[in-house]
Amino acid sequence: GSAMSFLKRFPPPAEGVRHQQADTEAVLAGRSLGSGTLYIAESRLSWLENSGVGFSLDYPTISLHAVSRDLSAYPWEHLYVMVNAKFEEEERKEAPVAEGEEEEDDSDDDTEPIAEFRFVPGDKSALEAMFSAMCECQALHPDPDDEDSDNDYEGDEYDVEARELEQGDIPTFYTYEEGLSHLTTEGQATLERLEGMLAQSVSSQYNMAGVRTEDSIREFDDGMEVDIAPVVAGQFEDAEVDH
Amino acid sequence: MEVSHSVKERTIAENSLVILLQGLHGLVTTVDLRDESTATGRVTNVDAFMNVRLAKVTFTDRQGTVSHLDELFVTGRNVRYVHIPDEVDIRATIERQLQTIHRIRYFGGRDKGRKEFPRAKHK
Repeated sequence: GSAMSFLKRFPPPAEGVRHQQADTEAVLAGRSLGSGTLYIAESRLSWLENSGVGFSLDYPTISLHAVSRDLSAYPWEHLYVMVNAKFEEEERKEAPVAEGEEEEDDSDDDTEPIAEFRFVPGDKSALEAMFSAMCECQALHPDPDDEDSDNDYEGDEYDVEARELEQGDIPTFYTYEEGLSHLTTEGQATLERLEGMLAQSVSSQYNMAGVRTEDSIREFDDGMEVDIAPVVAGQFEDAEVDH
Repeated sequence: MEVSHSVKERTIAENSLVILLQGLHGLVTTVDLRDESTATGRVTNVDAFMNVRLAKVTFTDRQGTVSHLDELFVTGRNVRYVHIPDEVDIRATIERQLQTIHRIRYFGGRDKGRKEFPRAKHK
């Protein structure tokens, strides 16, 4: 019988769907899973066959994705997705491999599992949008196990926006970044100016009673500079007012 | 020259060599992936998490099969090496990227605008 037991029935994602593409065939390791709809959502990538069964892929498991228009490599233009996981395929049982034994289809010892999906839209002009939507969603899921980089920017020294807005919930703050990337140069300049003004007025809250003195400036001389002349005068300086 | 619109990403980039990769924007570069496949193409974007986006890519998979991809996005986690083209002056590229970040950061003048934090915290 069919070994596609990873296919399940589930409702299509309702939230955070950046792109949806109907009439899209899903192919796993060269074998077609049927025609359905691809949902490129912020939380995961899902594909549902027209019959209602399908599968989802989590972005952290996706190594790469690409647009392939090379018909000599594959006869249809498609979105290629490489996943760091094993999916059941026909005639290939997932027998447990004892340590020290090599898997028969892998030549290297340390190879990680790889599954290759192809999503072939009926409308191939949609491939650009599908690719971009995936890039955006992928960027929302940076590698949490990133040990190589010294990205230890948590806490006081780095959370500029969190500190300014007095909240720690960074992810929600960044959801408007998509909008940021669509700003014109002028719009971006305006945004930077406004953010600068906000930074100065909010940063006044870090001084006692809103008073800036030379002493208080020196106190904060740990790399964080406090601005001297606020552009927006008075608006946020009433530290003693109850809101 | 591409610089992120995100303060967090600019801070990360400024404090790591990702900033060098971001300076390769528009150049044809080879990326070696963790699974030993390679991708050669024109850099269209590198973000602070080292996710790399390439255009007009020649992709050689780990078995050696070559294919051509219009666009490719590799997650930072799966990047092993990025080959810096020989003609790139690494130091000048880094300095140029830093200047771009500082232009954004100090927009409106050195004593105005938001100050970002120049140093990462070390545990």
